[in-house]
Amino acid sequence: MVCVNMEKYTFIITEKPDAAQRIASALDVQGKAKKRENNGVPYYVAKRDKEIVVVPALGHLYTVAAERRERNYFPVFNFEWVPRYVAERSAKQTRKWLETISKLAYDAAIFIDACDYDIEGSIIGYCLLKYACSNKERISKRMKYSTLTTEELEKSYDELLPHLDFALIEAGRTRHEIDWLYGINLSRALTIAAKNWSGKYTTLSTGRVQGSTLRFLVVREKAIRCFVPTPYWSIKAEIDIDGLIFEAGYEKKIIETKMEADTVVDDCKGKNGEAEKIDVEKFQQMPPTPFDLGALQSEAYSLYGYTPMRTSNIAQRLYLDALISYPRTSSQKLPPAINYEAILKNLNKVPEYEKLAAELLAKTELKPNEGKKEDPAHPAIYPTGKLPERVLDTSERNIWDLIIRRFMAVFGEPAIRQSIKVCINVNGRRFYLRGRQTLKEGWLRFYEPYIRSEEVLLPKIEAGQTINIKKIILEDKFTKPPPRYNPSSLLKKMEKAEIGTKATRAAILQTIYDRKYARDERMIVTDLGFEVLDVLEKYCPTVVSIKLTKELEEKMNKIQTNTEKRENILLEAVEILKPATDKLKEKERIIGEQLSNAMKTAKIEERTIGVCPICKTGKLMMIYSRRTGKRFVGCTNYFKGLCKASFPLPQKGTVRPLGRSCRGCGWPTVQVRMQGRHPWTLCFNPKCPLKENRRKKIELQNLQ
Amino acid sequence: MKAYENIVKKYDVWKRALKISWKEYLSEVAKNSLTGEWAKEVAEYLIKK
Repeated sequence: MVCVNMEKYTFIITEKPDAAQRIASALDVQGKAKKRENNGVPYYVAKRDKEIVVVPALGHLYTVAAERRERNYFPVFNFEWVPRYVAERSAKQTRKWLETISKLAYDAAIFIDACDYDIEGSIIGYCLLKYACSNKERISKRMKYSTLTTEELEKSYDELLPHLDFALIEAGRTRHEIDWLYGINLSRALTIAAKNWSGKYTTLSTGRVQGSTLRFLVVREKAIRCFVPTPYWSIKAEIDIDGLIFEAGYEKKIIETKMEADTVVDDCKGKNGEAEKIDVEKFQQMPPTPFDLGALQSEAYSLYGYTPMRTSNIAQRLYLDALISYPRTSSQKLPPAINYEAILKNLNKVPEYEKLAAELLAKTELKPNEGKKEDPAHPAIYPTGKLPERVLDTSERNIWDLIIRRFMAVFGEPAIRQSIKVCINVNGRRFYLRGRQTLKEGWLRFYEPYIRSEEVLLPKIEAGQTINIKKIILEDKFTKPPPRYNPSSLLKKMEKAEIGTKATRAAILQTIYDRKYARDERMIVTDLGFEVLDVLEKYCPTVVSIKLTKELEEKMNKIQTNTEKRENILLEAVEILKPATDKLKEKERIIGEQLSNAMKTAKIEERTIGVCPICKTGKLMMIYSRRTGKRFVGCTNYFKGLCKASFPLPQKGTVRPLGRSCRGCGWPTVQVRMQGRHPWTLCFNPKCPLKENRRKKIELQNLQ
Repeated sequence: MKAYENIVKKYDVWKRALKISWKEYLSEVAKNSLTGEWAKEVAEYLIKK
């Protein structure tokens, strides 16, 4: 039942239920908006200058879909915007949300779009106002805010923007439509080819950004797999100064021949050195710049190992709790309008930040060290100063703390550090002893414990001083292959190549994992990943061209500034896609065979745990018993009658081969994930020393 | 193909560094843990050949 007991009221649409509740409470004169429900859909009624009805969406409630609803054909170039429940079987619950929005909009006098102020939020609001509220998009006003704090929401309501940002909406619509055209046509081509060949349905997907991202991974993987290391040598001198041991590196960091390395060692053996020259250099280390989403994701990955997607989700929750500003920003700017002082005064109430906040508040001027990147819609990520109203879980607490400390650090003074380089002459060969120390902490103090700077303190050394060389160390080394991408470095690569948007990149990485094109944290491309890219590169190279993807991105961005038209870009996309889909159709049989074989290998690969530690020739695999339906681990040599190794597996949760050996016994391991529990590593060896140690520890604890 | 090219190309560097023969080089490359999977396969194939 819709219960709005008013004549004409103001209708506000928000992106999510949490935001609706916050906005309604902020706008209600008493701060107590009434929660109502219609068919299980919550909405809020607030009283202010007039009655306000705040209705939430559930993210995107409209999507692009083919005009013809059948699923098994391509190419598809005719599309329309439809309710999500029409296009997606899994979105049935969105129907009642749309019905509620339509009902509540019916009697409204004023319409306000209060969705997040970015491309996605603008499209969500636009579609609802246009389709669900019967073409109210032209008369609707816009709330623009970066935090869900009462003060900012009230200000945003009092200073409404007169209309929606139509250029932003047009750019967003085009992006959705182009991505849909690429995704639907290429994914259907691959999926249909594989299904027609094997008779089995498996979703294979690719897209405008996904294809190019997979290409980054494949190029790196090929470089790693084809890598041939080259030898080189490095030499260090172990020196003793007043009983303290230090290492000094030879002037040439890389020695390319063994002969040269041996000559240097022979020259220095048994000789003492002399401190020839001491260079002391003081330098400033500027405070970090405020967090944009990419920088936050990268920092959270390196500190806590959180994937970009996870960080993005945590940040979104903190934003909805009004603890931080809008996280999907690419800005590195903190305008004074956010009121630095008020935020710090609030942080001053938290014991952990009290001292640091007070220190900043005592400064005559608060000036953040801003970066170059700007975002027209939002400032960089900052804490609102509001304190949590619920208990934050560990990951939320970690990200919140990181954002607070980063915010404080950007206002800090530059740190002053000193580097010392002592040149030691050992029989005509020069070695360098390096020290590094912080003279003035400056901003470093605010960013504790997230600082990663090394302190190497050297004793006092004077020029001409004799240095006691304890030994000369010659190290055999090899060049290393390029590192594998991890989710964080791949995200950075996408950002640098300017493909995708801050809102979509993390989800694209997740899709690459979900489709099994790559596995593990250090992303290893699977056979399926190789084959999908091979097909795309062979038959439609234009769709995975990074240059073309970037060009298309640039053109889409131009719509936002009214310097390019949506129609032109859509036409261009169709011109690229048409010959590509024709070629894919023509070669359907070959592609189907190639992909089906790769999928088969991928499925086996997914179940293979590692070399059998018992027979050393077979492979341990996860097997499902046909008789009991239970899963266990068995050796592939069992069927040849050569090995009877088998081990039990937990029957609940997911089990994934880890691809690395147990550090206790060297046996292959798997990772087990169960709902509500932290994932754990399982070693099959019943006699694993780690298990033995753990058992002894428990016994000891019990005895105590 | 790329793996083979790399193996051939890097031999000069190895020869200069360690003064080793082609065969010794291949066996060093094949047993080095930093060698890529495909390069290792090519090296092993060349040893057998």
